[in-house]
Amino acid sequence: MTDHPRMQVPDVSAQEKLNQIEASVSITLDQRTQRVRDRLASAFRLLTLEEFRGELTAVTTPNELLALLQFCKTDPELACELLTDVTGVHWPGGTREHRAQETTGWPTYSVEDEGRIDVLYILLSVTHGHRLRVRVSVPDDAAEVPSAVEVYRSASMLEREVFDLMGVQFAGHPRLERLFMPEDWVGHPLRKDYPLGGVAVQYKGATVPPPDERQY
Amino acid sequence: MGLEARLPQGVLLTSVEKLVGWGRAGSLWPATFGLACCAVEMMATGAAHYDLARFGMEVFRASPRQADLMIVAGRVSQKMAPIVRNLYDQMPEPKWAIAMGVCASSGGMFNNYAIVQGVDHIIPVDMYVPGCPPRPEMLLDGILKLHEKIKTEQFVVRPRKGESMEDFRRRTGWEGPKPEDVAGPDNIPQPGERHDLHQVLGSKAVGQVRQ
Amino acid sequence: MDLSSAPEFTVVGADWQELPDAVEDNLMVINMGPQHPSTHGVLRMVLTLDGENVHDCQPVIGYLHTGIEKNLEYRPWTQGVTFVTRMDYLSPMFNELAFCLAVEKLLGITDDVPERAQTLRVLMTELNRVSSHLVAIGTGGMELGALSAMLYGFREREHILDLFEFVTGLRMNHAWIRPGGVSVDVPDGFEGRVRTVIAELRDRFGELNDLLTDNPIWIERNTGIGKLTADQCFDYGITGPVLRSVGVAHDLRRSAPYCGIDSYDFDVVTETAGDSYARYVVRMRELEQSLRIAEQAVDRLSPGPVMVADKKIAWPAQLALGPDGLGNAKEYIQKIMGESMEALIHHFKLVTEGFVVPQGTVYAAVESPRGELGAHATSNGTNKPYRVHMRDPSFVHIGALPALAKGLQVADIIAAVASMDPVMGGVDR
Repeated sequence: MTDHPRMQVPDVSAQEKLNQIEASVSITLDQRTQRVRDRLASAFRLLTLEEFRGELTAVTTPNELLALLQFCKTDPELACELLTDVTGVHWPGGTREHRAQETTGWPTYSVEDEGRIDVLYILLSVTHGHRLRVRVSVPDDAAEVPSAVEVYRSASMLEREVFDLMGVQFAGHPRLERLFMPEDWVGHPLRKDYPLGGVAVQYKGATVPPPDERQY
Repeated sequence: MGLEARLPQGVLLTSVEKLVGWGRAGSLWPATFGLACCAVEMMATGAAHYDLARFGMEVFRASPRQADLMIVAGRVSQKMAPIVRNLYDQMPEPKWAIAMGVCASSGGMFNNYAIVQGVDHIIPVDMYVPGCPPRPEMLLDGILKLHEKIKTEQFVVRPRKGESMEDFRRRTGWEGPKPEDVAGPDNIPQPGERHDLHQVLGSKAVGQVRQ
Repeated sequence: MDLSSAPEFTVVGADWQELPDAVEDNLMVINMGPQHPSTHGVLRMVLTLDGENVHDCQPVIGYLHTGIEKNLEYRPWTQGVTFVTRMDYLSPMFNELAFCLAVEKLLGITDDVPERAQTLRVLMTELNRVSSHLVAIGTGGMELGALSAMLYGFREREHILDLFEFVTGLRMNHAWIRPGGVSVDVPDGFEGRVRTVIAELRDRFGELNDLLTDNPIWIERNTGIGKLTADQCFDYGITGPVLRSVGVAHDLRRSAPYCGIDSYDFDVVTETAGDSYARYVVRMRELEQSLRIAEQAVDRLSPGPVMVADKKIAWPAQLALGPDGLGNAKEYIQKIMGESMEALIHHFKLVTEGFVVPQGTVYAAVESPRGELGAHATSNGTNKPYRVHMRDPSFVHIGALPALAKGLQVADIIAAVASMDPVMGGVDR
């Protein structure tokens, strides 16, 4: 197959090839993250920036979200052309345990929470090869975030998914309808207070309870 | 067949039944109903290596009105359930259904809000083929066992359009699965039994896994 | 649907032509339903047609929604692999790899995964890429009427599935890549088999190429169909072969490498036309590149462990054909029952509870045959995931269908969707 003219790889001279490879790895992932961090810190002075396992998260409020996304898209140093992911994490209200240590998880503290949903956006830059996460927190009984559809058209599907599964309203979305569940479904399945919905299984004389009711 | 329903009781047409049964089983046309991973194994069964054409079944009819077998291959979600039923109702009788894979048989590993726990809540299933996904040979075993069933079956009783499975069972006393209606090897150990796997497989294992 | 404000017409027979003239837009809304021989799985498209020309194409999905992400929250981290692998069912290794990379990132053991495990991961995932592209090209051909393409594609795929069965025991949905490495090492004779398979595949790809690439029908049905520009691709979040077919040389294997894949010698395949034919050529050329990587991976295999050294995380079982069926090897059972108490405790804890993953949120992505497949995992410090979101490329690509369908005719929709290669298991999860 490789001798077919359509299947030829374009002939790039050896030196050019070396240059291409070197250009892509000359700046390490950590350096790239550092550059992004510095650029964001200088542009948005009140922005909180967190770093975990080499990943950068910019924490912002719903009011400033669109401005931040627009900046990340248009700024030549950041150049985040793609919105690759929008997801939500539900932290329900009430007390929950916070594990202090990394590995053993001990000691644990009780943390009182008001019930919030974190909406996380992941932006990817094709030109520079870096990734950036933007986080917005909204209360879970009045979850509303401005829609990023005007900035990135891929948000259209991604936000519909978060609406369907988590119940976050995206203001300004052209078609905020259910995506996965039938249109008349009640409830948002991926919230923590929504049950898994399994049934008990009978097998060879024994009954096994559904996964959310098991002891282990 | 419908003929027997109209004849006075006690008149049997054995040879004609056999002929009709052989005809029905000889070229059972499946409807394209692949949903998820099992659909890929179903396509592999129809492809060149494990050939369905030798049973006259390689024509997967796109329109359910031209098919007699519905192989439900894959997990049936809540949104898809009314569509499965709609398609099954559109098939002309006599029609049969195979639940391919554990998701279609019983909900499989997805014991949750989104998956119907077994397509037999929606349509009457004539053959269960467990596996995740079942190997093409296993699907062929299920199909051949269904062929045997079709050849010996007299009446084909099916639900009316839109009739729920509970009403159907109450009306006709349709029983559902019997132990022989499950594809797979016939020597699976029952509770309390053990057997020597080396004896079953022969002395050579399929792949010598590194100790 | 509220029809009270719709216009009313009375038509009795010979004046039938007055009706379409009176209605302002002559558009029909036709459903290309979830059960269709030519949509890639249970995809429903609501087409707004003017005769045969498509004005709008709205995808309706959710017919395969399985609640995998919710199920993951009720099982230990290692068991999550078995769920995730059934998402994008044509490339199960990639789903597993993305999930395991996210878990390893959370655990902080990304550099501790042994060399042999990395090489095996690269080898098997590249073979999986080959098998996935073969299905894409095969079913694309079948949907356009080239039925032989499907038979050729699936025949080649059987070779690779045999290899997978040899190593993992299953043809699809293997659950072989686990956090920390791979669950079981390859059997003896594997390297010879892989080399034979690679040589055979190279021959057979020539046949597939002869069938389709210069075929005038194939060229006519695919050229100019579903044209996208680079800006449109960025706007719609498109990655993978579709992005590479518009000229953007973006490949996660080069820009954000995983498992040491940037140390292998391969080319990032691009085309410039951006239409359906260009995507087909990109996939065909990627087949050859994947075989190159697989060959290099086989050459690099050297003896060593296949699981991380930390016994509190490494999957403990050494599988073999034991007296009670496929289970733990006799030597391993002797060790944990007779010799080492620690090994017994580790085995017990890992199999019942699983390991504990520190708190935090990470995102790990791999270059799957369809694009960027990522696992966005949040842990709250327990043995079960708190929230895992799998970013599937097909899901995002389906959002681009309205742009893809502009100006096409109904039959071209099939070609366009086939060239995007969506897998509905990944779309609906």
